[in-house]
Amino acid sequence: MAVMQRIKAVGAWLDERLQLGSTIAEVAEHPVPRSSASWWYIFGSATLVVLIMQIVTGICLATVYTPAANGAWESLIYLNYQQPLGWYIRALHGWGSNFMVALMLVHMVQVFLFGAHKYPRELTWVAGIVLLLCTLGMAFTGQVLRFDQDAYWGLGIGASIAGRSPLIGPKIVDLILGGPIIAGETLSRFFALHVFVIPGLLLAFVGLHLFLVLRLGINEWPMPGRIVTREKYRQQYKELVQRDGEPFFPFAAQKDIVFAGLIILSLVVVAAVMGPIGPGGQPDPTIIQTVPRPDFFFLWLFSVFALLPPWTETFLMLVGPPIAIGLLFAVPFLSGTGEKSWRARPFAVVIVTLILLAIGTLTWLGTYSPWSPQMEAWTEAPVPPDYLKGRTPLELQGAILIQYKQCRNCHSLGGQGGMRGPALGDTAARLTRDEIIRQIVQGGGNMPAYGKNLSPAEVNAIVAFLGTMHPANEPPARDSAKPAEPAASQ
Amino acid sequence: MIARGCRLIAIACAAVCVAGCDWMPGRPTQAEMPLRPSAITDFARLYGENCAGCHGVDGKLGPAIALNNPVYLAIVDDAAMHRVIADGTAGTAMPPFAGAQGGNLTDQQIDIVVAGIRKQWSGDKSVGAGAPPYSSNSPGDSNRGGQVYAANCASCHGADGKAGNAGSIADASFLALVSNQNLRTIVIAGRPDFGHPDWKSYSARQALTAQQVSDVVAWIAAKRPASMLSALSAAQH
Ligand code: HEC
Ligand code: HEC
Ligand code: HEC
Repeated sequence: MAVMQRIKAVGAWLDERLQLGSTIAEVAEHPVPRSSASWWYIFGSATLVVLIMQIVTGICLATVYTPAANGAWESLIYLNYQQPLGWYIRALHGWGSNFMVALMLVHMVQVFLFGAHKYPRELTWVAGIVLLLCTLGMAFTGQVLRFDQDAYWGLGIGASIAGRSPLIGPKIVDLILGGPIIAGETLSRFFALHVFVIPGLLLAFVGLHLFLVLRLGINEWPMPGRIVTREKYRQQYKELVQRDGEPFFPFAAQKDIVFAGLIILSLVVVAAVMGPIGPGGQPDPTIIQTVPRPDFFFLWLFSVFALLPPWTETFLMLVGPPIAIGLLFAVPFLSGTGEKSWRARPFAVVIVTLILLAIGTLTWLGTYSPWSPQMEAWTEAPVPPDYLKGRTPLELQGAILIQYKQCRNCHSLGGQGGMRGPALGDTAARLTRDEIIRQIVQGGGNMPAYGKNLSPAEVNAIVAFLGTMHPANEPPARDSAKPAEPAASQ
Repeated sequence: MIARGCRLIAIACAAVCVAGCDWMPGRPTQAEMPLRPSAITDFARLYGENCAGCHGVDGKLGPAIALNNPVYLAIVDDAAMHRVIADGTAGTAMPPFAGAQGGNLTDQQIDIVVAGIRKQWSGDKSVGAGAPPYSSNSPGDSNRGGQVYAANCASCHGADGKAGNAGSIADASFLALVSNQNLRTIVIAGRPDFGHPDWKSYSARQALTAQQVSDVVAWIAAKRPASMLSALSAAQH
């Protein structure tokens, strides 16, 4: 008891001089529209809570991390395998990053669909877009700090986008990488960005964002037909709050608090179950067996770059991002008044759906990147024994050659192998012998011609093996120009 | 309500942390430690990444000869295996794995693979007792080989080598793709994974002698068309 009284006394002493208590109370208890205390309005605060977790775990990691080319990877290995619970802090930080990006995107979609970006909250949206860019910047620089083989993806893309700008391209590459190539200086730069520059911006804009939210009030629940106009809106909002307002704390805040708690709990569990992200293999330009792949949130970009026809790349890389970012900033200025409710804005709903579908599909493609051959499949991916049982010695040689000639790097059998070309498990059900030979010898449709690289014996063996590739209950494909053989037509 | 909710969540978080530590499934294990390719020393991983595509998961049921075969391991010595893995077999689909030959295994890793194959798949050593030697200097007589073939192989591979149920082993294309050593190894050690007989099970009465093995291999090899022969030997030099 005595202790409690002591603490209270100290608190009172401080408050008398700082005069904070009343300000905090004012902020906490400011009235908000009853309708905004909704389970839809909780994503922003949850994002903020995850940001705070990121700062805490980030500081912990920074005490061990070595921002030097010859120590970065090793320090992460130390964290993962030696430092007690070091792996767990890494897991929290890595998954926290994913959580934060995801929550922020949900928040953004909700804000847009509920018309919260409209007059007078345009600047809140603009600050939010800066926060989006900063957060993606953190995710991007963070994966570079891992400095494993995949880190090269981010660096390579960053440098190649910048390097393509006319005239100043090489200068910018120099600025990003700290030299013409990826080296120790590069890492120092990304470290500075990740722990000083971007977090500084992030905190400043979080401040602005929150200040604006408090000043302008939380968006009321939109109703179709309730039109926003510059002349009347502020007056209407004031009346609404007076008529049907409740203090923010605890009325609206309790949902935020419960949701934020659940988010932290899921983060704690996900980190414990999934473990830290990377580091993958040690970075070494001489190891060419791996294709660097970005973290989850950039997989869609990875797909875009892989799928773009090469001649459009320079143009789209330079012009695409500025236009996309410019459009995001422009949203509240393009549709600053009018209907708020998504039910009265079909166009907005269609756009959001299309963007989410596009990014979702590209991400899904990126997870297994069917366009890149699997360079190890020929020695690694086994041939399912069912394709080998009962085969003749020549057919078995054909199966060996499918491996040896690295056809497996592009073609899968039994679900393993590359996916650039069709799976070979039912080739003979689709193609006749002549068509198979033509495809192998002449190539075509993104497959190289093997005519010069296969001896006649090798072609015979491969064709003999592929000729067995049809489901047991389905006859092999026949040349429709020739009369059916009795055996095939029963 | 808030206070209670918060307390519950906080307790749950703490419980995860405290209870966790050692058994948390996300904790990286030493085995997951990323290694540079040349530092991998685990046999299962080396074999799986480099050999399973042709020699099959677990050394059998792949398109290329089974290494998981006690008879084969009884007749071959480590030096011969090491040589084939390092240098490959010219003119066939067995690629070289030594760094100097453009492969990506170190000498030490090849030793690990050889030792691993031996340790895991040697099985019952007695099954190889009395088997003809892995290699032989005597050239073999293809005329006598024809009789060995007729008595021991024709029932499955067809009279005179022209397509039986099991397919021809005198097929020109087939013979252009395999080495004589491969033929010899198959004749002696068979392919237990596909039920192919070995040297002592062709005939119930008598196992093949070392001379008969050399003879039948000579007979099969003589079926290689001259054009293929020159291609194969050109590739081998
Ligand atoms: C660089 C990747 C690549 C490699 C390597 C490759 N292919 Fe292909 N293959 C393809 C693509 C892509 C197609 C689809 C062509 C089309 O759509 O016309 C294809 C088609 C085929 C087809 C026709 C399949 C069907 O069902 O339509 C056969 C048969 C085939 N490949 C065999 C081979 C063989 C045998 C090898 C090795 C000697 C090989 N491929 C190596 C990419 C590859
Ligand atoms: C691309 C297919 C392929 C891959 C991958 C491959 N092999 Fe082979 N291997 C073959 C073929 C085909 C032969 C038979 C060659 C011949 O005709 O002599 C063979 C033969 C061998 C032999 C000799 C058998 C004998 O008769 O003594 C050994 C030993 C061997 N392989 C081990 C390995 C090991 C170990 C690996 C992995 C490091 C490996 N192979 C990877 C195709 C392959
Ligand atoms: C019981 C039937 C049977 C007998 C007897 C038999 N084979 Fe075979 N042989 C097969 C079958 C089935 C295959 C294909 C599957 C395999 O490789 O095991 C085969 C495959 C082969 C192969 C190719 C193996 C490979 O994996 O590339 C060779 C070489 C061969 N036999 C040689 C012989 C010789 C020489 C004899 C006589 C000494 C013989 N076989 C006797 C059934 C037989």
